Amino acid sequence: MATPAARLPASAALRRAGTRVGLERVLGPDFRLGFLFVAPTVLLVLALVAYPFGYAIYLSLTRKYVGVPPVFVGLDNYVKLTWDGFFQRAVVNSFIFTFGSVSVKLLLGMLMALVLTSKIRFRSFWTGVLLIPWVAPTVVSALNFLWIYDYSLGVLNYLLVRVFGLLPQGVGWLSEPGTAMASVIAVNIWRGFPFFGISLLAGMKAIPAELYEAAAVDGAGPVQRFWRVTLPGVKNILVIVVLLSTIWTFNDFQIVYILTKGGPGGATQVLPVLTYEIAFGAQRLGEAIAVALYMLPPLAVVIIVLARYMRRGQAK
Amino acid sequence: MDQRLRDLTEQLDAGLIARREFLRKAAVITGGTAAGLHVLSKMADAQPKTKLRVWLFKSFVTAGNDTLAKHIEAWAKERKVDVETDWATFGDREQKFVAAIEAGNPPDIAEMNIYGPMRYKAALRDVSKIATDIASAKGGFLPFAERAMKAEGKFLGVPRYSMTTVFFIRKDIMEAKGLKPPKVYDPDVVEFARKTTDPAKDLWGFGQTLNRSDDGDGFMSNILWDYGGGVWDKDGKPALGTAFLKQNTAALQFAVDTIKKYRIQPPGVMGWTDPSNNEAYMAGKLVTTNNGASLYYAMVQKKHELAPKTLLVLTPGGPAGSFVGSSCYNWAIFAKSKQTELCEDLIRWVEDESRFNEYVHASIGQAGPVYRARVDTPYWKSDPNFDAIVQNILRSVNLGYPGPTTPAAAEVQGQKILTDMAGRVVVGGLSPEQALKEAHKRIEEIYKMRRA
Repeated sequence: MATPAARLPASAALRRAGTRVGLERVLGPDFRLGFLFVAPTVLLVLALVAYPFGYAIYLSLTRKYVGVPPVFVGLDNYVKLTWDGFFQRAVVNSFIFTFGSVSVKLLLGMLMALVLTSKIRFRSFWTGVLLIPWVAPTVVSALNFLWIYDYSLGVLNYLLVRVFGLLPQGVGWLSEPGTAMASVIAVNIWRGFPFFGISLLAGMKAIPAELYEAAAVDGAGPVQRFWRVTLPGVKNILVIVVLLSTIWTFNDFQIVYILTKGGPGGATQVLPVLTYEIAFGAQRLGEAIAVALYMLPPLAVVIIVLARYMRRGQAK
Repeated sequence: MDQRLRDLTEQLDAGLIARREFLRKAAVITGGTAAGLHVLSKMADAQPKTKLRVWLFKSFVTAGNDTLAKHIEAWAKERKVDVETDWATFGDREQKFVAAIEAGNPPDIAEMNIYGPMRYKAALRDVSKIATDIASAKGGFLPFAERAMKAEGKFLGVPRYSMTTVFFIRKDIMEAKGLKPPKVYDPDVVEFARKTTDPAKDLWGFGQTLNRSDDGDGFMSNILWDYGGGVWDKDGKPALGTAFLKQNTAALQFAVDTIKKYRIQPPGVMGWTDPSNNEAYMAGKLVTTNNGASLYYAMVQKKHELAPKTLLVLTPGGPAGSFVGSSCYNWAIFAKSKQTELCEDLIRWVEDESRFNEYVHASIGQAGPVYRARVDTPYWKSDPNFDAIVQNILRSVNLGYPGPTTPAAAEVQGQKILTDMAGRVVVGGLSPEQALKEAHKRIEEIYKMRRA
């Protein structure tokens, strides 16, 4: 009679063979090679995305001062932020800043694309010129606008008061809540609309000319052609560009920080600047990360919608 | 002489070896020794030098920065140390420190502002020995410097210099209007500014932002003290909206009135950041402003037309006196450093009186004294405007006054809660009492968390 020890290797080998056949059936005959190819990417994603993200979530659940070990406090930071007036104002400001910017960028971008698809002279030159705000470093643009908006020394008041005589005296562009928010939005629009314009331009160029000709033959005017041909033709690009720009604008830090630092009196305080202030001003790293993560769910919705649209585009 | 050569000489003298053999053996010994010494010398050169990471503060006074860098280079050469110097500015020093500390990779030694030792005390080394050694050689600390650098009885920074603020006045305009330097804000500064403001010419009698900035925060601290109030009581507990509510309300109301009621400030002042008043003053748009000596340096250095027309006086006060917040740049050594002795040696080197004197001369009023022996030097009498700088330093009070300097006080300053408070009244529509209570709530929260 064979001992159990003598029987085990054979049965184990059979089981392994069975499992391998099963895996091959599910994953394909080259699954080992597949794992090998995927492994570097998985490792990179784990090391560069998953670990920092997981650590950030952990830190947001702690009271963490600079140079001192973190103390776990559960959801305290999130609860505290929920009832914090400055945080609430920053959330509202972030939405005003984002939607104010994105909506105007969309309109200007569409206008830019329409103008650049029409028959105008020096089209390439104008395309290049309109791309300058997008290409210029944000810090440089923001510093220039800081000077442009200056009450006494800025060029904007100089033009409005001295050159064109449109106003009896200058405006403190960055010193009143309304004008300060409008000013930072204006800079974001100036910087961001070429992205809309150039993306939509690419989409419009892909629309077959026959569609416009057929529409014209059917008696459609320019407005109808825009609504019935152009807009449906660029719909997918439009959605992707709006969603991407929403994410970027929501996370925009440089323009607001350089122009107003969130002032006056917190009137332009947006979440990225508040995160920065709490991290480096107050040096409360746990709470700063909680501010940054607080708005993750709404942004995640935007990202999911964006990803679905992009996948749908690929499927088509 | 080498022993082997001596033996050979003796053998030659005794006739045991021929002269030719003596020369041959002597050449081998001498050549071998020379080659060996050369190899040893190369090996010694190849030994890695000790490395020291030094972070310096890059102020607007560039000549001072250059002088300090030169002193450190000379020290490195003298001590054969490989120094890696990095600079941090007003705008990025906190980020750099936070990132380095959290990454576990801070420099060995850093030049910090007055809040640095309190902010980063968990990461800093006790430097009491060298601080007291240096102070005793220089007549002792000025009181504010000692208080600012000490936490729980230990020194966390070695004081270097004080960069105080003073009150800048356009002397030419003042004299043309027959006015005298103001001593208090209300009514002196208000009257002075009213008489010199000319909106048609875009000339404003007073320029002081209440926006989020170090300048705005410093002014708000001073004005609360001037009216007998403050953020903290003498035990270091929050008092902004409680014990000092009455005094603070009057102070905040005055600060807001300079913009909204008296209209002596430029309409864009609530949008200003730290350099804005410097630019406006140098552009001839302001008659008075509060600023550090860097503005004076910039004018003198550039031979600006307003330099000789500028008068520096003591910061004006209020009903309770005239107060100005202290400044104390210092050397801090990080606990992670393994080169403590080298760091201390470097501090002694740059704080040597002849070198520091060179630094002071290059800094044109910015590097004020923090040690008693540095007060009465000929330099501070070389320009009449320097007197206000020295006197303001001598009477300056610390963050947290009338209580102790605490991490909570440093955090309130870091979060710019006082300027947020002023902004809420100027542009947010809150009453001074409401704004004070709102700010007090934030400060209470900080106080509780820091205690926890």
